[in-house]
Amino acid sequence: MKTEFTLFSQMYSCYYQVVRHILSQASGNFLTKQQMKEIADTYSYQESALSIIPSLIQGDWPFLEKIPASPAASSDRYRSRLTFSGRDFPTPLTALQKAWLKSLLGDPRIRLFLTDCQLALLENVLEDVPALFRVEDFHCFDQYRDRDPFTSIQYRAHFATLLEGIEKRELLTISCLTGRQRILTATWLPCRLEYCEKEGKFRLFCIARRKNGSPRMDVLNVGRILKIEKTGQISSEEFSIDVFLDKSLCPDPLVLELTNQRNALERAMLHFSCYQKKVERLDSGRYRCFIYYDKRWETELLIQVLSFGPVVRVLGPESFLCQVTERVRKQPDRPLE
Amino acid sequence: MSEFKELIRRFDKIRSYVRDFYIYGFKHRTEYQQKSSRTYDNERRRLESWFSRYIRSDQSGHKKSVFITLDSGRMAVNPLYQAWKSKTFTNRDITLHFLLLDLLSDRHPHSIEELTDRLQLQFGVLEDSQAIRRKLSEYEKEGILHRQKEGKQYLFSLADDLRNSTPQLFPALGSAVCFFQGTAPFGFIGSTIMDFWNLKNTRFRFRSDYLIHTLEDEILLPLLQAIQEHRLLHLTVKSSKTGQTRTVLAVPLKILVSTQTGRRYVCVRRQSDCRLASLRLDSIRDVELLDVDPQYASFQKAYSANQPYVWGVSFGESRQPETVRFSVRLHEESEAFILNRLEREGRQGTITRLEPGLYEYTRKCWDAAELLPWVKSFTGRVVSFTCSNPRVENRFWDDIRLMKQMYQLQSKR
Repeated sequence: MKTEFTLFSQMYSCYYQVVRHILSQASGNFLTKQQMKEIADTYSYQESALSIIPSLIQGDWPFLEKIPASPAASSDRYRSRLTFSGRDFPTPLTALQKAWLKSLLGDPRIRLFLTDCQLALLENVLEDVPALFRVEDFHCFDQYRDRDPFTSIQYRAHFATLLEGIEKRELLTISCLTGRQRILTATWLPCRLEYCEKEGKFRLFCIARRKNGSPRMDVLNVGRILKIEKTGQISSEEFSIDVFLDKSLCPDPLVLELTNQRNALERAMLHFSCYQKKVERLDSGRYRCFIYYDKRWETELLIQVLSFGPVVRVLGPESFLCQVTERVRKQPDRPLE
Repeated sequence: MSEFKELIRRFDKIRSYVRDFYIYGFKHRTEYQQKSSRTYDNERRRLESWFSRYIRSDQSGHKKSVFITLDSGRMAVNPLYQAWKSKTFTNRDITLHFLLLDLLSDRHPHSIEELTDRLQLQFGVLEDSQAIRRKLSEYEKEGILHRQKEGKQYLFSLADDLRNSTPQLFPALGSAVCFFQGTAPFGFIGSTIMDFWNLKNTRFRFRSDYLIHTLEDEILLPLLQAIQEHRLLHLTVKSSKTGQTRTVLAVPLKILVSTQTGRRYVCVRRQSDCRLASLRLDSIRDVELLDVDPQYASFQKAYSANQPYVWGVSFGESRQPETVRFSVRLHEESEAFILNRLEREGRQGTITRLEPGLYEYTRKCWDAAELLPWVKSFTGRVVSFTCSNPRVENRFWDDIRLMKQMYQLQSKR
């Protein structure tokens, strides 16, 4: 890492991205103020259009030419004064971005995406680029031991087929090992892959049809897939996995009460920061935290809450509280000396 | 009063605000006392603009708290990366950026004089050649331009776009970028590549993802540089518990990442007491690189020798490792998942079957207190728990007693 990299740079600014998109679309084309605003709203912050659009149309940033309103067009329109032709404004990668890509070559998971030939090519292209970081300088000390075998030939082949299936919306016939060690074979539409760093595992979110034809979301562990066959059938329907996930959200949030004893507030808030949550301060140094969670991960959340011991108290919902109290009740006391 | 701007000059100014709004979210305006109320108002408005989709507010009496709330498992791209895309610039910066790249988009090399003339002729932009030279040099350093010498002058041309020079890598490399932006260190850089390549992450999501890590990246970068170059560091550290700031002279050895608690640390060899220690990245305010330490290899060796005795990040205080031993009861046929948990989460501890349905876990470590949260996650099944450090053993059983009191359950004796 001999090069001095700057992480916080205007090169990556949202504003630059907005201008690039506007210029790409205004090349050989006309854009209205409203269209430019929509681009700004898509690629930048809530209030960015208020700064960007005036700068462009008043000429502080001299990239656009104004075509006044006419009987054919009810409002002023703008086109690019730039000379580049083609779909996109040129955006070669910076040294920082290439250094980041170079670092990925040290991560075994890169083999899930690139073939050996592609890997060799990328290594060659980035030969003179210093890596931004080395994977071996990091140690994830609490990652689970039974991680997916990312470099196994079969796992890589399955992963590539799943990615292609998601891209093409192709139905796949998948055989996998269930939690009860049975082999399940069915046809699914692969939709999304979820990675969990703690487990080092991928899960496939996919859609199957019930007997009555209605769609159902299933989740498969990629590491438990034994065989995948392409069916050649392309789904004409698109499914939103988020809609299915919304259905599995618990109607009532988990409600926790905590104090700052043993730095519990900071520890718990950071620990549960991956969930959607809300925190209220009560009187006398107590806090109430509402955590919105997916029913599928209730046991995992329960375990996390128990790990805090007496500094975090569950107030609800009733079903969650029952599970916690049941575990505490079952816990034997200290054996007598 | 100065006009409100969404963009900022320095990233470290916004770091603590984003953290407070995201991690806590209950603080009111009056509690941000390190700066004036007007500064708070500006920062709040800025964060509301950056994270508009995830900002919520709560009114308690006359007091309003503003917070960022989201489920990280649903995010295609970490929304906090938006903070990295807020660097301010001048009109000249953006003008030269787009016009120079436009003039160079023909892929031919051009001299400074030629580019200066064409800026004036084609776009009516009058700039002195020194300003053009500075911008071109800056972009050469950034890696987006090439410089070559021809005769007495330098010529500049646009660097290759990987998409054009190596089309065989696509779309596979794009998929890899969409994945690693969510899971690799410095993921926000991956998100900038997605911006440059007009990619959308439609395929990957990341469960139990600690989005807050991105705020520490400006600290992480010099730490990694120091590890690679074996340098001594001067660190400025602010305690999250006491709020006090101190300085530490240390040699960094490893970045320790917790995938379960959302914390990242740097393991260092402290110069003051010659001991190994871990410092949280979110407590480090400043990093200054000093000289190369010739003893670096021996420090790394000491880390490697100690690492098997570290449960999390603590190297403890004692000279002898502490021993933790606990047993859990489970139904071997229907509750094999408990045994699986001991195996996959147990970090090289020893598991022994004492009798059918009763398993004992044993591990030596420098600081046994670090195991307590994990052992407590088995609450309801722990038959015995002992530790060579009596304080740790007492803490465990006291916690069980306190939990029973808290949930108003009778002790069994």
